[in-house]
Amino acid sequence: MRVIVVDYGAGNVESVRRAVWLAGFDPEISSAPEEVLAADRIILPGVGAAGRAVAALRARGLDEALDEAVCRRGRPMLGICLGMQLLAETLYEFGCHRGLGWIPGSVVPMRDVIGDGLRVPHMGWNSVTATDTGAMFFPGSREPGHFYFAHSYALDVRPEDPIAAATVIYGRTMVAAVRWNAVFATQFHPEKSQDSGERLLGAFFDWAP
Amino acid sequence: MLTQRLIPGLLLRGGRLAKGERFASYQDAGLPHTTARAYIAQGADEILLLDVDASRVGRGPDLDAVRAVAAECQVPLTVGGGIRTVADGHACMAAGADKLCVTMTALDRSDLITELAEIFGSQAVVLGIDVLTDDGARRLYDHRNGDMVGRDPLAWARDGIARGAGEIRLMAVDREGTRRGMDLDLLEAVRHAVQVPIVLEGGAGTLEHLDAAFAAGADGVAVGTMLVFSDNNLVKIKRYLADRGRNVRA
Repeated sequence: MRVIVVDYGAGNVESVRRAVWLAGFDPEISSAPEEVLAADRIILPGVGAAGRAVAALRARGLDEALDEAVCRRGRPMLGICLGMQLLAETLYEFGCHRGLGWIPGSVVPMRDVIGDGLRVPHMGWNSVTATDTGAMFFPGSREPGHFYFAHSYALDVRPEDPIAAATVIYGRTMVAAVRWNAVFATQFHPEKSQDSGERLLGAFFDWAP
Repeated sequence: MLTQRLIPGLLLRGGRLAKGERFASYQDAGLPHTTARAYIAQGADEILLLDVDASRVGRGPDLDAVRAVAAECQVPLTVGGGIRTVADGHACMAAGADKLCVTMTALDRSDLITELAEIFGSQAVVLGIDVLTDDGARRLYDHRNGDMVGRDPLAWARDGIARGAGEIRLMAVDREGTRRGMDLDLLEAVRHAVQVPIVLEGGAGTLEHLDAAFAAGADGVAVGTMLVFSDNNLVKIKRYLADRGRNVRA
């Protein structure tokens, strides 16, 4: 299986590469659109500010390559953190940026979502709950334990939306992962979630959408 | 439910670990990556790797050490010490850091906080604040020369967050290595001043000290001395905290 970790200058690609390696695969790290098109599994990581990240994807032609590989050819993709948020229509972070538009919705400041009283960023290990949509990624339990979150912005997809694959509670119930067609994407960091993350990555590689 | 984090702090000097008291009288405490591996296996929620020499001697981060620890790290890794520029930040992230901690270098040039946040996001920028409390007066401490910095710690916390930092590593310098308990008044003051997560450091010597810090609302507690020179370990500590009803990751 050819696994690619997309490197567009805004990801913790080394951490992701190690985690994928521990899951039993030897991924390529690349920013080349043709590598994206040649891969069997695509991972879009993301740590960083939204505006720069979307600009970097477009500057390398990766937006079109991802659209072709994932949306048209159905190659499974895992988006992580910012790699999930970039799939939204609009990202309101240090301004207003146009995302890839795969998910109908916006990425908005956490503070607007949860109100006052809790610390932002949402930082640390939080317990997630799998939905019917996401059950295949959390083998064995709908309460698969704690995953590592680190984000100041949130995707405004409702927890009861059919694409919601997992939820998390921080002030209110929020979407922690989404799935539709060949896309699975998490707000948390499986590559930094120790055993829980390793199981989830294994399930992603087993997944046949 | 979001858990409260227990974070082993690894102090790096010349490629090896050190444990000191008030930034002095360091003792050798082993190799960073083998120690990190043990802590992670025991349930560390995050690793904090601080190069205590870098700023003092004016060099950049020890990237070899970052790489070695990162290779063991299936949990988040925060790296601090010697990050003076965006290029230093990039080098640390490429070596496997997940978050960047700036302390002295942010005091020297506060624009650095914004520069890092605009690239890596606020959630990846940790502002380190070293506070020395003397006779009730709280002042910022410069460990490079032992001097006080003429800024109010709470004002600096607010300023640093406004500039883009997403977390505070709050060190009570006068408690460090003393094992006489954590500075919960300082924690409360900074919690009141800012709305980002706070990792408290300095003074933990007993299980009760950690429990008190979590009860006081610390989002995380960094522990060093307590793990290095005692019979405590993270498994035992977490079991104790869970038994006391604290919300920790099993």
